[in-house]
Amino acid sequence: MGGKVTCTLGEVKQRADFIIYWGGNPAECHPRHFTKYTLMQKSKFLPKGRKDRTMVLVDIRETKSVKASDIFLQVRPGKDFELITILRALVKEQHVTDAQIAETGITREVLDDLVARMKAAKFGCMFFGMGLSMTRGKHMNSAALLTLAAEMNAFTKFVAMPMRGHGNVTGADVIMRWQTGFPFGISFNRGYPRYNPGEFSTVDVLVRGDCDAAFIIGADPGGTMPQPAIDHLKRIPTIVLDPHITHTSKLARVHITTAAQGIAAPGTAYRMDEIPMPLKPALKSPYPSDEEVVRRINEAIAKKPFWIPEGSMPQMLTEQV
Amino acid sequence: MSATAAKTETPLQVIDNATCTFCGCVCDDIQLHHDEMRIHKAKKACVLGTAWFLNHTAEKKYPAALIDGKEATVDEAIEETARLLHEADMPLIYGMSNTTCEAQKECAAMADSLGGLLDSHTSL
Amino acid sequence: MLRITGGKVYDPANKIDGQIKDLHIDSDGRLCEPTSEGRSIDATGMIVMPGGVDVHTHVAGGAINFARAMTPEDHRRTQAFIRTKTRRSGLGGMAPTTFATGYLYAGMGWTTVNEAAVPVLSARHTHEELADIPIVDKSTLTLMANNEIMLDQMEAGEYERARDVVAWYIWAAKSYGVKAVNPGGVAAWKWGGDARQLSSPIEGYDKITPGTIVTQLARICDDLGLPHPMHLHCNDLGAPGNIKTTLDTLKHLEGSRAHIAHSQYHAYGGDGWESICSATAQLAEYFNTHPNITTDAGAVLFGDTVTITADGPWQHLLYKLTGRKWGNLDVENETGCGIVPYTYRPSNLVNAVQWACGLELLLLIQNPWQVFLSTDHPNGGCFWRYPEIIKLLMSRDFREECIKKLPSNIKNKIVLPEIDREYTLSDVATSMSAGPARALGLKQKGNLGVGCDADIVIYEQEDDPGEMFAHPRYVIKGGEVIIEDGEIREAPDGREYIARPFYDPATNDFMRPLFEDCYTMAFDNYPVEMERVHGASIHECKPGDAS
Ligand code: SF4
Ligand SMILES: [Zn+2]
Repeated sequence: MGGKVTCTLGEVKQRADFIIYWGGNPAECHPRHFTKYTLMQKSKFLPKGRKDRTMVLVDIRETKSVKASDIFLQVRPGKDFELITILRALVKEQHVTDAQIAETGITREVLDDLVARMKAAKFGCMFFGMGLSMTRGKHMNSAALLTLAAEMNAFTKFVAMPMRGHGNVTGADVIMRWQTGFPFGISFNRGYPRYNPGEFSTVDVLVRGDCDAAFIIGADPGGTMPQPAIDHLKRIPTIVLDPHITHTSKLARVHITTAAQGIAAPGTAYRMDEIPMPLKPALKSPYPSDEEVVRRINEAIAKKPFWIPEGSMPQMLTEQV
Repeated sequence: MSATAAKTETPLQVIDNATCTFCGCVCDDIQLHHDEMRIHKAKKACVLGTAWFLNHTAEKKYPAALIDGKEATVDEAIEETARLLHEADMPLIYGMSNTTCEAQKECAAMADSLGGLLDSHTSL
Repeated sequence: MLRITGGKVYDPANKIDGQIKDLHIDSDGRLCEPTSEGRSIDATGMIVMPGGVDVHTHVAGGAINFARAMTPEDHRRTQAFIRTKTRRSGLGGMAPTTFATGYLYAGMGWTTVNEAAVPVLSARHTHEELADIPIVDKSTLTLMANNEIMLDQMEAGEYERARDVVAWYIWAAKSYGVKAVNPGGVAAWKWGGDARQLSSPIEGYDKITPGTIVTQLARICDDLGLPHPMHLHCNDLGAPGNIKTTLDTLKHLEGSRAHIAHSQYHAYGGDGWESICSATAQLAEYFNTHPNITTDAGAVLFGDTVTITADGPWQHLLYKLTGRKWGNLDVENETGCGIVPYTYRPSNLVNAVQWACGLELLLLIQNPWQVFLSTDHPNGGCFWRYPEIIKLLMSRDFREECIKKLPSNIKNKIVLPEIDREYTLSDVATSMSAGPARALGLKQKGNLGVGCDADIVIYEQEDDPGEMFAHPRYVIKGGEVIIEDGEIREAPDGREYIARPFYDPATNDFMRPLFEDCYTMAFDNYPVEMERVHGASIHECKPGDAS
């Protein structure tokens, strides 16, 4: 069970007559999402545009996005997983007790109506934001929502997609997957990629003091991470590449100023639906691009002695202890 | 900002279908009006995108590089970075949100060659 | 500069069948007239063949990368390629990482691969991934049969327009040819439907049927002079009794060239999962009487894999049948794809029939120039298991041993036990290299004649063909020794083949408004820039070239 049923944003633009935003505030965080991709667009299948579509917003608080919605469901904080599970049950006409429903802060009538609308849709799409994927039980929440979308396909066409933010974080995810098999949280310390989010993810590594140098690019952990993590960055040699002097630059041993991507540096960035977009920089920066600097660092490293003895052969992981 | 200063000079250059990387929408229909030093207008961009485009300039606002807080050349900083990373037993390469795929690929190559850790914002 | 001396050469393109022959390679990495310069490899007693060519595989792009994301548990138990000073690390397994893909293909002597399914919208992504697959040369096919802009032209009876649109897309994607998947069916799937009948109009249209799409698209490929004919994944994949649909499709192709992808999945009789049986004899008979079409087996091997195809409806069915994870990705205007992890078991009657069907087609189609080795990687099994298939083809005894492990009620469902044929080394060389190279229109591949690319694999002769083909002694790519004594020595970048078909320059203006209607990307940003294709080698198409 599980998996991920998704599409590109153009499919939503063309076909989605039923759209759910769960745990996000697109009006303020992805301001053109409604107009460019989802609600406002007309298409040959939805000639009346906004009038042909229904939008449901699920969130723990009222945000500016409520105004754009047809139906707003205010879920109790921390009850997303329960609500998704109840929806999965209701979709399959399984019994759910009143007490279980009451816990979520939403009434049975509202949920019955929602399920009826979901099933009546020709093409449903669920977008889930940080509010869902970054709170208690984050991975469970997204997995449950993806499963709900997959299961809806027994009744009608349904897809789901994460609302990714943070610049080109999708690109990092996509590239790490093709080069290493994993999207993040990777260690190469045995000479090949291994994945263990709890163990190899940055906050855990820094808090435990498990790394003895840090190379930071396109992020400012010095301004966002918990204090013990920042303290460790101060202790070890930290190197920062950024167009600005950041919080992290101030505690770093080395800072190199680089050109901002898409403004003064060319290249590619991935959209949240994993479509690569070419960048068209307008300005000529006095600074080199990230790409150039990291490549030159790699060249400098390549001139130094290598840490694995020559002649190491491919191995089967199952043979390892 | 100082849009008025540019008015007296040559007309602005226009770039069609530029791409905004500020959020995951990655809108690629932005029309940028610029004078090579700064972008004065980002047509079709939202408030966030406009701020993103207008706040970055081609001015030399910061030193090219800093080593231990002192100004340094890029060459020196690259050498020092290579030395520090190579000396480390377990270097961490982290971030990669606000950068290009081309740079991200170089970062993955770096972690691979150093036998280090590689992680993005997603793990947060 | 390199010489390979004393080996038994199998070079079907030049009708060389095991004769002892020296090969000479010039400094451009091509085979040349005898020279006495450079290194010499003594291949006495060894077997020399052109490097393998995979006509149909899925190794780069959104779909396989989606599969990588869905199979982290497989990455933990697979083959790991350890980093060296010059070579990147990687993981093998069901959906290998890009670097490992290159090492694994080259490691068993394959030097050219054709990525068979690329949506134009994410073609940039595919090219970036291909650039990270070292050693092998590559080509890609663009998914066309469910492209709504093209379908609209066909519906309106505008054949020439449809042809220009196809050519425009091929060049925008910087691809090598056209792949048609479940024509009309994927477009219908976007509303949760499918197209299983060749003669009824597809959903959303009044006139065009899967049959008319197939006929017109095959003609378009020929008229544009594409080096590779239409590459067709027929409707009704994987369904019991689909042989009717497949034969019906083939009839729509008379007079055109075509390549039928993974025909194993399209050669079933019966009318349900209980009564499913092999119908390969009928299909093979068609191929045996129609030399204008080629196919690849799409053979199935028992074990774990992950299935990925642009056939969304089939994947949804598989998900329902297995209850395993399901990934699906619909791409605006163009296509879709589905991903489901899957285990083929010898004890499962349907899987047993599938296993037999793949081998039957490889054995029953008489001319090895028409049927090629493939598993539709990773769908029927992973590409790095090809040597197992070669062993099954070369050894009737080994086949018999394997058949014993199948359920007893398989008896009247398959014909494999009655087939005596065993592949010769020349058959193997044709099916793994010379044949697919010719079908792809790659004249410099799969051929050890003077002027061709020096992509060569050298095997130590062994009794067990499975062992022999899994561990070549040397692999030479473009004149460079890549594998020596089973170790990777070099991992140079490969080339990418792209085709440039002609289209009316006005097509751009015609496309723009249609494009803006359904896409979410700027029209001018959509075509892949030439600089993004690494090591590009352009084939200029001449209409009428195809024959
Ligand atoms: S213009 Fe606005 S919505 Fe579009 S990518 Fe930039 S910040 Fe996001
Ligand atoms: Zn395929």
